[in-house]
Amino acid sequence: MVGITEMTNWGVDLIDVRKTYGRSIEALRGVNIQVGRGEIFGLLGPNGAGKTTLVKIMMTVVKPTHALGTILGRPLGHRGKLRTTGYLPEDHCFPPYLTGFQLLDYYAALAKVPRARRKENAKRLLDRMWLTQWANVRIDKYSKGMLQRLGIAQALMNDPELVILDEPTDGLDPVGRRDVRELLLELRNRGTTIFLNSHLLSELEMVCDRVAILVNGLVARQGTLSELTEHTLDYRITLQSDATAIKNKLEAMGALVDGCAVKLTGDDTDKLNAVIDLVRGEGILVQAVEPHHFTLEDILVEAMGDQRIPPARPVAGFEQRQG
Amino acid sequence: MQYWALLVDSFRESRDRKIFWLMLVISIMVAGAMLCVGFEPGKVTFLFGMWEHETSYFTDVTGLKTDLIAGIVVDGIMDTVLGWIGVTLAIIATAGLFPSWMERGAIDVVVSKPIARWELFLGRYLGGLAFVLFQATVFVLLTFLVAGVRWGTWLPGYLLAIPLVVLLFSYLYCVSVSVAVVFRSTVAAILLTLVVWISFTGVQTLDDLVTFKYTEWQEQRSVYRSVHLARWIVPKTQDMTHIAKKWSGAAPVDEFLPEPAEEDRANYELAARIEAARMALNPVYTIGSSLLFEVVLLILAMWRFSRMDF
Repeated sequence: MVGITEMTNWGVDLIDVRKTYGRSIEALRGVNIQVGRGEIFGLLGPNGAGKTTLVKIMMTVVKPTHALGTILGRPLGHRGKLRTTGYLPEDHCFPPYLTGFQLLDYYAALAKVPRARRKENAKRLLDRMWLTQWANVRIDKYSKGMLQRLGIAQALMNDPELVILDEPTDGLDPVGRRDVRELLLELRNRGTTIFLNSHLLSELEMVCDRVAILVNGLVARQGTLSELTEHTLDYRITLQSDATAIKNKLEAMGALVDGCAVKLTGDDTDKLNAVIDLVRGEGILVQAVEPHHFTLEDILVEAMGDQRIPPARPVAGFEQRQG
Repeated sequence: MQYWALLVDSFRESRDRKIFWLMLVISIMVAGAMLCVGFEPGKVTFLFGMWEHETSYFTDVTGLKTDLIAGIVVDGIMDTVLGWIGVTLAIIATAGLFPSWMERGAIDVVVSKPIARWELFLGRYLGGLAFVLFQATVFVLLTFLVAGVRWGTWLPGYLLAIPLVVLLFSYLYCVSVSVAVVFRSTVAAILLTLVVWISFTGVQTLDDLVTFKYTEWQEQRSVYRSVHLARWIVPKTQDMTHIAKKWSGAAPVDEFLPEPAEEDRANYELAARIEAARMALNPVYTIGSSLLFEVVLLILAMWRFSRMDF
């Protein structure tokens, strides 16, 4: 059985992950997520969707009510595989009495990294994260951005096969964010699987191969960025004069009218031409027609409004209360 | 490797607190104060002879009585300074080790490492004991050296006070960490541990009173048995000093206390009987039954810690 699961191509294969706090607070309600080995996967969703709870379950910080599946080919919660998994929690709080070097050494020792490799990796990662000058300074002297970079270094100290990063660019300036993106791409090129949890959709769009959108404890969408945005297109038509007079006719064709702006959802070019013909037939000149592809943000907003996903009990704000 | 990392981290955290240095300063000050005192036949000198006090206790011109010095060192200095003040400071110093470690954002990284939760718990617990081991070693070694060099009395048995003080502290520390795991609060850990310590002392004292003073209570068999059972269950915190005295060859307390006034004689004799009974206790029983309490409480705390969501 173990041999079979080891052969899976999924770096992360979560099946029916559920978490209920107490008797009635359902944080996760049967989450299924698959992450391929060597890919960058992004998990997004609104506050209280259960993203952090899911990440914590993957890292054994929180015990699931029910969970099947594997991480790196081993059952969820397998201690041995944690040795090759790196983790950066959201809002981390590192011991202030340690220096940057001591912190990396401490956490790597807990991950059973041999002493010589710890020293070598700490030096390399401090250098990579621009912290060499600060290696022997207590971390209570670090800025928020430096702590975040140290946290990322900490997650990489055991040369992980899988890295789980919860809000990795939190507190970083634009240069720092770009640096983290480059680091993630470097890691992917070396075959590391990366699981990202972030609110910053633009960041995810730039680096993720696949994403999942979690809403109310359920996966609302999952796939590659192109899969998710493939059939999600609309046309923005700008008119030279107000189209309120023909608003009813346009709305009957599925368009939305706001003064001189007309929005037509979907990528149906026949319908687009019919709308343009109608407008021009009424003597209104068309100034511009722009195809608009959905961004991740559009998809997230659409998923949040999806009525097929019933709200969890209680409706929202669960994760904040947990904090 | 993992245990060592946890031990070192706990020790570093303890060292970061001012109370760590306060305890070291107290140890040095006590040793310094002992240095200022000298025992000579027929008198005790203070401040290197600047002030003298004549006494009939040290008349033996061939040297000081070892058991009296051991009594002064163990009963007067170690028990008071290390057994009470030191352990109280250690409770305060270590009470925050678990709550700070279990803070959201701090514990997440630790429990995500390839080490079982019970091992993490145990490593952190041992880290707290390492702090006390360090402080007790400094105190006992300094006082041992002063007694030997300045007073000419070497008490090798007194060195066993180091593990005994760590044991005494461990009986209380298991309460502290259990409270910390449940409430995640340093203040609650300190207060409840002190209350429990007082209650341990109360149970032992009550049992002594029922056994030696209010013997008529023994007729209430159920009460008597309950008190006896309670004494058996709770850690014998008071008896640790008696074991230290026994192992260091200290004289009984009545040998170096002044003769009591007539009206105090009954209480004096009662204290001497209780002292004699405690000195006669088998250390295996005293330590073993106390350790049993500690192990049971630690297993419960570990179980709770292992099942927690962070």
